Amino acid sequence: MQAGLMDTYQRPLQKRGAVAWIFCAALVAFYLLIYYTDAFEGPARRLGLGDKWTLYGVLYTLAMVAGGIYFLRRHGNSRYQRIRTITVVAVQVVLAFALPIVMKVLGRQEYYFSYFWPLKIEYFYPSVILQQPFLIVIYSFLGSLVAFPLVGYFLGKRFYCSWICGCGGLANTAGDPFRHLSDKSAGAWRFEKASIYTVLGIAVITTVIVGLNWAVGRQHAAFSSFAFGVQRWYGLVVGGFFSGVLGVGLYPLMGTRVWCRFACPMAAVLGLVQKFGRFRITVKKDMCIACGNCSTYCEMGIDVRAYAMANEHVKRAACVGCGMCAHVCPRGVLKLEVKPDRFKGGTPIRVYAVDL
Amino acid sequence: MHHVIVGNGVCGMEAALALRRKDGEARITLVSDEHDHFYSRTALMYVFAGQMRLQDTEPYDRGLYERLRFERVRERVAELAAQGKSLRFEGGRTIGYDRLLLAVGSRARPAPWPGAAGPGLHYFVTLRDLEGLDHEAKAGRRAVVVGGGLIGVEVAEILLARGLEVTFVVRENWYFPLALDEREALMVAEHLRAHGVDVRLGVNVEEVRRGPDGALAGVRLGDAPRTQAALAAGAAEVPCDLLVCAIGVVPNTGFLATSGLRLAKGGAIEVDDALRAAPDVWAAGDCANVTWADGSRRPEQLWYTARDQGRVAAASMLGDGATYRRGTWYNSAKFFDLEYTTAGWVPVRLDWDNTPLDPGPDVSDWFQRSPGRFDSQRIICSGGMNPPSLIKQGGLSGPPRPPLAADRVIGFNMLGGRWNHEVLLDWIDSRRSLGFVLDRLAEAQFDEELSPRWRRQPGSPPT
Ligand SMILES: Cc1cc2nc3c(=O)[nH]c(=O)nc-3n(C[C@H](O)[C@H](O)[C@H](O)COP(=O)(O)OP(=O)(O)OC[C@H]3O[C@@H](n4cnc5c(N)ncnc54)[C@H](O)[C@@H]3O)c2cc1C
Ligand code: SF4
Repeated sequence: MQAGLMDTYQRPLQKRGAVAWIFCAALVAFYLLIYYTDAFEGPARRLGLGDKWTLYGVLYTLAMVAGGIYFLRRHGNSRYQRIRTITVVAVQVVLAFALPIVMKVLGRQEYYFSYFWPLKIEYFYPSVILQQPFLIVIYSFLGSLVAFPLVGYFLGKRFYCSWICGCGGLANTAGDPFRHLSDKSAGAWRFEKASIYTVLGIAVITTVIVGLNWAVGRQHAAFSSFAFGVQRWYGLVVGGFFSGVLGVGLYPLMGTRVWCRFACPMAAVLGLVQKFGRFRITVKKDMCIACGNCSTYCEMGIDVRAYAMANEHVKRAACVGCGMCAHVCPRGVLKLEVKPDRFKGGTPIRVYAVDL
Repeated sequence: MHHVIVGNGVCGMEAALALRRKDGEARITLVSDEHDHFYSRTALMYVFAGQMRLQDTEPYDRGLYERLRFERVRERVAELAAQGKSLRFEGGRTIGYDRLLLAVGSRARPAPWPGAAGPGLHYFVTLRDLEGLDHEAKAGRRAVVVGGGLIGVEVAEILLARGLEVTFVVRENWYFPLALDEREALMVAEHLRAHGVDVRLGVNVEEVRRGPDGALAGVRLGDAPRTQAALAAGAAEVPCDLLVCAIGVVPNTGFLATSGLRLAKGGAIEVDDALRAAPDVWAAGDCANVTWADGSRRPEQLWYTARDQGRVAAASMLGDGATYRRGTWYNSAKFFDLEYTTAGWVPVRLDWDNTPLDPGPDVSDWFQRSPGRFDSQRIICSGGMNPPSLIKQGGLSGPPRPPLAADRVIGFNMLGGRWNHEVLLDWIDSRRSLGFVLDRLAEAQFDEELSPRWRRQPGSPPT
């Protein structure tokens, strides 16, 4: 048995019981209020935090730190999980929380060094680019267009989704009690493939429209107002509703990675890179006892067991490399690895001779 | 053609899938008295612990039976009339078959102790067992788990996790002597004790004590033959509310007594190399008596062999001339947090009655334990012919193997870490020397990324 997972399915909060629905409603309400109203401006100011976004950053970071401690108590017996969790929490605290505040205090344009286009879509909007120092623009473009595809190819998308990104960070810390709630059905997989690439397409088109508007908008008022509409709509629907309201709000009902799995454009890009890259989950041959722990605890809804039973290495665009399948497997069947595809890994064993 | 498969476990299901793959038209019927869906018996403990729901242990989606047109009968077979090619169910109904596969698996070996039968006695092999144990295992109760095998340790773990007091009774002088040597077993016992299990080695259950109303009161323990751990007073009473008997499994073949099929001494169905038991009857999985790599004949009670046998039986049923032949042994298990991988030939050092077994003069082993950690590696070497002690498990001598050069590695027993048995088996099958293997052992490591690399401890035995 895996320490910490005892009774997972006996707790109402973790098995979509009434408290889970209430918690979900509370999360959704919180997100709607903070994203689309000024209800939190007052409390933020009273706490001396300036505006509601700083308050949100404080809450988010606190949730990740507390969740990280909770996660380490459950799964800290694995060195991979220890180092990964400490890293992702540290990135949140330093790059996504402290540094932007310091920049603001110093009177500079705040910048989130751990976020990149297309996840942070505005970093490719000309109006934003023009406000940034040259070095940061270089950093942002090299990151999105060169470093991400390259590192993703060699290490898998996990380098971002499970080691750096705050969305994944919250999922893997405070969200850990809900990871098993992801939908494992084939239908969910089909929906995921349709939805995530659609959002990626919309993100690219939005960026292009906003860019065009900057170039030619002054001459074409109609286009300009259309472009402004698209930009606003993307921010409200994708940036706010999908990533926040649904992405976190649905934790107690649909697991932790709803946003990452169905909508994140960054995950879409990295997934494509990963599919053709070197990262995989190696499956030890004919050792799986089909218990189902790996599939149950996959937050991306991958039926890992099906691969293990078929002796097939797992190479899936969705996999964020959190490593929990390998961690919970009681027979040590799975291992996250970076291996060129040519590698054949030991001589295949013949368990029996069948003259088929 | 009507294929009937009795048993909806891994063996029966894999056979059905293999049949359907090759024959889209055949009528395939799966019979089970246990569950409507194929689930993983190996995951019973996780269901008990609430780590998974029963449906999470089902490897295939529930639409599979309809999609592949598998007919299902949820009944217990009471009798097989092999002459008339028909099965009679307990409800009285009969069905005919053209080809029959018996994949009926095992049941728990019944508790042999006086007074055992009655309330409070549990096994842990089937879904019914799970339900019964789940119902009675309440925090604070006292449980005695008997049996020094793999199921016993799983039951001890989950009962302890649920907050019961657990006494773990093992007849042998050390835990699991079929696979572990004394040093390894002591390490496992130390690990169990550190978790809070009361481990009693070298003791037998002599009697089960019951109150006047028949309620379970406790067990009386006595010294096992040739025990090393003599009980202080010669005997001891252990009060308990639950008694779990995990002393092995026996083939589920009671209903075949009148079938005319040949059964081995332990009850397993005798089959030929094509897993055929009689004309138009095949048997596979836990219930079949098959030939092991060492030539001995006994059932293989393992998940992957049940799966493989099911596939071979299906091919054989379709007339494909398939034969089942076992390769070099390997397996893995987990004792609480300690992972265990074994590959190749690991001599048994202690018989069931605590008689020491000598592996022979040409067998040696290299052993190291990491200081302060539950982590050890044992590499078994032999310079001789197939040493007879290695095949003691079967009680039969196998066919001679080609002579081995001195110091060839024939087996691995690894506790604590994760190891890639494919690499270990490759070294065994290509007759590598101990020196060669020790130089490369880290390549066979399969621990999670960022785990420390395996090293020889200073002071480990020379090669
Ligand atoms: C708790 C536990 C843990 C285990 N862990 C491991 C492990 O970690 N690794 C490993 O390799 N192996 C493990 N095993 C062993 C493994 O589960 C078995 O070897 C495997 O399930 C055998 O498969 P089978 O299909 O032959 O039989 P089974 O899975 O036993 O299936 C037989 C089916 O036939 C049905 N049946 C029997 N008789 C009749 C009848 N007369 N009428 C109708 N239906 C009938 C039974 O109800 C049962 O559903 C474990 C076993 C147990 C009990
Ligand atoms: S890979 Fe491991 S966790 Fe997954 S089903 Fe197989 S044995 Fe269980």
